[in-house]
Amino acid sequence: MKINQLLIAAFVGAQFVTASYAADDATNNSTEAAEIAALKQEIQTLDQKVSDLENQRQAQQPVADSADKQQIQDLDQKVRILSRERELDQDAAATAAKSAPKITLGATGLGFSSADSNFVATIHGLIQVDSRTFSQDNHVQGNDSFLLRRARPIITGTVFHDFDFNFTPEFGNATPGATSAASTPSIYDAYINYRYSPWLQLEAGRFKPPVGLEYLQTDTATSFNERSLVSDLIPGRDLGFELHGDIAGGVVSYAAGIFNGVGDNQRNTTDIGFQNDREFDGRLFVQPFKATGIAALQNFGVGAGGSWGSSSITNTLGLPNTTGGGSTSYGFSTDGQQQFFAYSATTVAAHTHWRFSPQGYYYYGPFGLLGEYVISDQGVENSTTLKTANLRNTAWEISGGWVLTGEDAAYNGVTPRHNFDPRNGGWGAWQVVARYAELNVDSAAFPTFASATTSASAAQAWSLGLNWYLNRNIRVNASYSHTTFTGGGAASATTAPASVSSHPESVFFTRVQLAF
Amino acid sequence: MKTFLKILLASSLAISASAKEIKLLNVSYDPTRELYTEYNAAFAKYWKAKTGDDVVISQSHGGSGKQAQSVIAGLEADVVTLALSYDIDAISQQAKILPADWQKRLPNNSTPYTSTIVFLVRKGNPKGIKDWDDLVKPHVSVVVPNPKTSGGARWAYLGAYAYALETYGHDDAKAKDFITKLYKNVPILDSGARGSTITFAQRGIGDVLLAWENEAHLALKEFGADNFEIVTPPLSILAEPPVAVVDKNAKRHGTTEVANEYLKYLYSDEGQEIAAKNFYRPRNQDIAAKYAANFTQLKLVTVDQEFGGWTKAQATHFTDGGVFDQIYQP
Repeated sequence: MKINQLLIAAFVGAQFVTASYAADDATNNSTEAAEIAALKQEIQTLDQKVSDLENQRQAQQPVADSADKQQIQDLDQKVRILSRERELDQDAAATAAKSAPKITLGATGLGFSSADSNFVATIHGLIQVDSRTFSQDNHVQGNDSFLLRRARPIITGTVFHDFDFNFTPEFGNATPGATSAASTPSIYDAYINYRYSPWLQLEAGRFKPPVGLEYLQTDTATSFNERSLVSDLIPGRDLGFELHGDIAGGVVSYAAGIFNGVGDNQRNTTDIGFQNDREFDGRLFVQPFKATGIAALQNFGVGAGGSWGSSSITNTLGLPNTTGGGSTSYGFSTDGQQQFFAYSATTVAAHTHWRFSPQGYYYYGPFGLLGEYVISDQGVENSTTLKTANLRNTAWEISGGWVLTGEDAAYNGVTPRHNFDPRNGGWGAWQVVARYAELNVDSAAFPTFASATTSASAAQAWSLGLNWYLNRNIRVNASYSHTTFTGGGAASATTAPASVSSHPESVFFTRVQLAF
Repeated sequence: MKTFLKILLASSLAISASAKEIKLLNVSYDPTRELYTEYNAAFAKYWKAKTGDDVVISQSHGGSGKQAQSVIAGLEADVVTLALSYDIDAISQQAKILPADWQKRLPNNSTPYTSTIVFLVRKGNPKGIKDWDDLVKPHVSVVVPNPKTSGGARWAYLGAYAYALETYGHDDAKAKDFITKLYKNVPILDSGARGSTITFAQRGIGDVLLAWENEAHLALKEFGADNFEIVTPPLSILAEPPVAVVDKNAKRHGTTEVANEYLKYLYSDEGQEIAAKNFYRPRNQDIAAKYAANFTQLKLVTVDQEFGGWTKAQATHFTDGGVFDQIYQP
């Protein structure tokens, strides 16, 4: 029985009891009948109300259930939609990340790359702060100096996946003791290289011609501050086209090009050729064990480079450069960049000029060895007497090094195993290096084309050095070079080349280098 | 020496006569994965028998508009099989790697099969969706991709718009009001048809998915006919997905001949059968009759009839600032 029904029964019972007591009163019989009728009516009314209430409640219950269910469904859909939107946002973010350009900053420079790596640009830099201290400068003024040897922002990159480029201006390279010691900004490298494949590439612009092994070594990795006497007979950066490539992963490397042509250790600075004739340069280098498992021989390489050019006119631009200070004549310089040999002012380049340079290196573990020989057969003419000759100048060098801290030596430099970080016991990599080099001028040069009383006919140089690689970017060098001469100037001479060649050159170098 | 020369000659001939392996890239839209997976195998077999050469066909799928932009940006498609002609026109006009009259090179305006837009609803059709006007009712949630990126979504949008034009006596204002209401019921826009199918079928969002006819059948097959059912409205749009060789890419790859044959073979009996089996309406009437049970008959209106062609439809509705941008509020 429900509560409502109990209440009604109780109420009716109470009314009935009251009525029973009243019935005892004989005078009220007719009133009693009327009251009972009224009570019955009241009971029916109440019963109807209870019934209506129950019906109403039963009718409202499904409506409430349905509304709740709808609300739950709506909320479920909203949650699902939010979840899906998040999923789509994540997909979109992942897709956008795939197509977003990448920026990297590290030891190899500041790099920008398109998402597919088809377009790449990297900013590199090279700063070399040197000192040169001569123990006997023999009245040559200004050679002891601090100097900004190289200061180059370098931009390299790739466009459309296969086309590489390099743009390297030079803001340093002041020459102590020169007529003008000011640095003149100039473009050193500016070339475009098309890579069809590693073994077939075409390069165009200004870059190093493929002749000398030491000269082709990057400026940041050379063992000493200055390259050896061998590089006095090698062509410097030139303008031209070169076909080159690495076959079988570098087992065979070849390069062949056509260039404007420059004199020994000259650098083409004019952006044009000085004559109609061109110079042909080429190089073949083999590392026969590179792809083998013989670790001791993998970094052994031998090869030869050479050049040939024939000039239909005479000129001075075909002669060596004038680096060395104190003289504007064309000639050869020492490790200290002082001129010890100069052609006479009446000498000009003429006819053919060819070079041949057998070369090789060997690196194994911390040990490294590099050797090179070069013949530079220079056609010359005395513009006064019109006498001509082919002067066969030669040079050779051998240099070696040992990385004291055990890292691998390599043609491309040394990477320290532990960066310089004294707080944590890191001291970088330390390397000792040594070199011997000679340059011999053809005896036929004297006296028609050069003065035997001012220029040396030969130079012999030995060098010792200590290189400290603090990390991949910072290197500190210290070295000592001693050069002796055959022939040359009088002891009292005050201008190069006589003042230089009159006594041995002893020079102490230091360098602090940043390269990234 | 003679023997050596004979061996050398025989070797040369053998090398020159050996089979080539040809690589082809088909850049297509979202729901054609299954169609072209089957068709590529059939064509490779046909081509091998005909020429002896092996042809390896790679497929790329995505929203039709996005795929077209990828080709314009340099994706080296030998052929494109996209959702609508406007997208291939865009490739022709912007990248200039196929001629403007590309659509005249194959029969039926280079559309070897057609399709339409249908409704995929949940089993039992709880919202009682039968026609387009059911989609604008309150509390009906509609799932459809973004017409800015998806070809199928553009067909769906135009199908709805065409219904409104037909229903309201080509009163454009009323049609615009109708499409506004419809997109108010769209809670989420995926970038492609396959994404919307996932939203509806796998994520359980919405009451109805506006889908390619073949995509709806695929959803039934993949997600269970006991979970969904297809509702074909009395009127919808005739979708004509076109195909074209990307001339300059094919020429550069040396694939012009095989690319052309690849598309022509879509019109062959085998190509048409594969299309029909994958719920694309074949152009070949005999094969269409054979697979009539796959396709519910309905009134199909064309873009040319209702909207004056794709160029005009695109400019009016889907370019930035067009009708879709005006009516859709995310």
